[in-house]
Amino acid sequence: MENPYIPMPMNVVKITTEVDTNDIKTFRLTFVSKEDEEKFKYLPGQFGELSIYGKGESPIGIASSPTDPGYVEFTVQRTGTLVGGMVTTALHDLEEGAQIGLRGPLGNAWPIDFLAGKNVVVVGGGFAFTTLRSLINYMIHGENRKRFGDITVVYGARTPGLLLYKDEMAAWQKRKDMVMHVTVDRGDASWKGREGFVPTVCKDVAPSSKNAVTVICGPPIMIKFTLPVFFDLGFSRENILTSLEMRMKCGIGKCGRCNVGNKYVCKDGPVFSLAQLEQLPRDY
Amino acid sequence: MKKIAIDQFSELVKVLAERGPLYAPVKGKEGVNFQAIKNPADVTLDFYNTVLSPKSVFFPQSEDMIRYRITHGATEAQPVPQESRPAVILGVRPCDVRSFEIMDRHFLGAGVIDPYWKSKRDNTTVIGFAFDVSAAADPADFYNTFGYGAADPEGSDVFMVRTDKALLLKSMTDRGKKLLDSLGFLQVAGAQDEKVFEETVKKGKAVRTRSAEINPQVIAKKLVSVFDNGEFWQKVTMACIACGACTYGCPTCYCFDISDEMLFKEGSRKRFWDACTFTDFTLEASGHNPRPRIFQRYRQKVCHKYSYHVDKYGCISCVGCGRCTRVCPVNIDIFSIVDEANKL
Repeated sequence: MENPYIPMPMNVVKITTEVDTNDIKTFRLTFVSKEDEEKFKYLPGQFGELSIYGKGESPIGIASSPTDPGYVEFTVQRTGTLVGGMVTTALHDLEEGAQIGLRGPLGNAWPIDFLAGKNVVVVGGGFAFTTLRSLINYMIHGENRKRFGDITVVYGARTPGLLLYKDEMAAWQKRKDMVMHVTVDRGDASWKGREGFVPTVCKDVAPSSKNAVTVICGPPIMIKFTLPVFFDLGFSRENILTSLEMRMKCGIGKCGRCNVGNKYVCKDGPVFSLAQLEQLPRDY
Repeated sequence: MKKIAIDQFSELVKVLAERGPLYAPVKGKEGVNFQAIKNPADVTLDFYNTVLSPKSVFFPQSEDMIRYRITHGATEAQPVPQESRPAVILGVRPCDVRSFEIMDRHFLGAGVIDPYWKSKRDNTTVIGFAFDVSAAADPADFYNTFGYGAADPEGSDVFMVRTDKALLLKSMTDRGKKLLDSLGFLQVAGAQDEKVFEETVKKGKAVRTRSAEINPQVIAKKLVSVFDNGEFWQKVTMACIACGACTYGCPTCYCFDISDEMLFKEGSRKRFWDACTFTDFTLEASGHNPRPRIFQRYRQKVCHKYSYHVDKYGCISCVGCGRCTRVCPVNIDIFSIVDEANKL
């Protein structure tokens, strides 16, 4: 019988420090077993449980896109140890060449077939950009690009040093088949880009709601002020998607921890439309 | 149907315990509870119901899932092998027997099978045990609400009824029949015994517990509709101290935590019973807690059992065994809360 609690062994082949505060790193993992690699079929928006024996497991969104085969990437923020953070701290202490465990892919995904044929507005704030990065890389990859309409990205962070995936962002900004709006709350001497909060930028950019879906991930405060902007633009609740976070343990709908109403975020989510969320009790 | 004289009961226990793991009620300092039997004389049949539910047989309070050894950067990890000898759990009250089916829907359902629950469940023959049908039900019990009787044999592999001098053992499933057939020393029950057995089942239906008209689909919707009635939830949970005793006693509470424990180079990944009433149940690493207040957590408990579980698995996750009410240090009674919510 398959045991869904057993992690696959993974090699840590590359560690990238993403931010100037050094507490967010991207880990590139390759599969130790060819068989595991073939079985690991994922879509943007899914997550995995990163495992370090002796420390525990952490559920982390997959930051790479399945269009880049051979490896999986996770961007992990180190959290304080007062309320947890055992695993993320241990991960941050790793060096390239280490071996860790992975369970997954887990959860549902950004609804690619639903997004196909539509204009997609991606809105991200800070560290919550990881599975959005996966989605963007998926949509702009080769032949996939034709399946989607206009792609608009609004991405913000508090400071320039806190923006993730800087090289990739630069490359995206040069592309003609997508529009990037990168903003920071507060620039510094070298910052030549936009300043302002994500909701304000969304209002300025004012993407059309015609045949469009918006995919929003960020801190609760950003989401709170961004939603009204999209309501004003005429986006329906079915066409506003987000990814929920809840404390998780098993990741497979058994340990009973991450429910919102009758949905387990780990199994029925993490991706929900606003229309779906409004059906659930306000318990998140 | 088979039977055995009461004074021969320890013989039955001895044989079962020799063959494989036997779990049965044992009187200890904390009252009567299910335990793995080492000494046949420990087993008691003189109890109303066990303090803790029998769920620990299939879902131990603490269970190693994976054991590992870390040496020079290399890790050897193995899932913990499961008992292969057939096991027996003896003396399970009818309402508790039904809890296994409710837990099956969760641990074996929704597209993911939990291998730890499944192997123990598949491997274990359940011997149910009728309540004393001549005595009144405990005032905390409310299993009538779910249509269960005090001597319902449904769900057991073998159902056991105690008479003055004997224990009647009737097989309810093929697995139960196989077990009874393998116990050559049991006597074959006569027509009179059959009659006593049937009468006991019938009398069991007449034993009354507290009861309320609760339709699963209706209560499921009702609770969601009163979810935002903070005044109600705060009133009914005012006394709660979030100790979690109700969930530990509950036969259908399945929430668990997973944690690693390591000493020097060896360790295990374990799962433990957890409780949605605990402060840090949903405390995220960021410090955010979606349910920081006790009333929110107790509301989660009630809504999970009587609403979300119905939506997900088609049944209420409660059997009315009354344990949560009996063990609660501040006299909170889920039956009254649900009944009150139902009438809002």
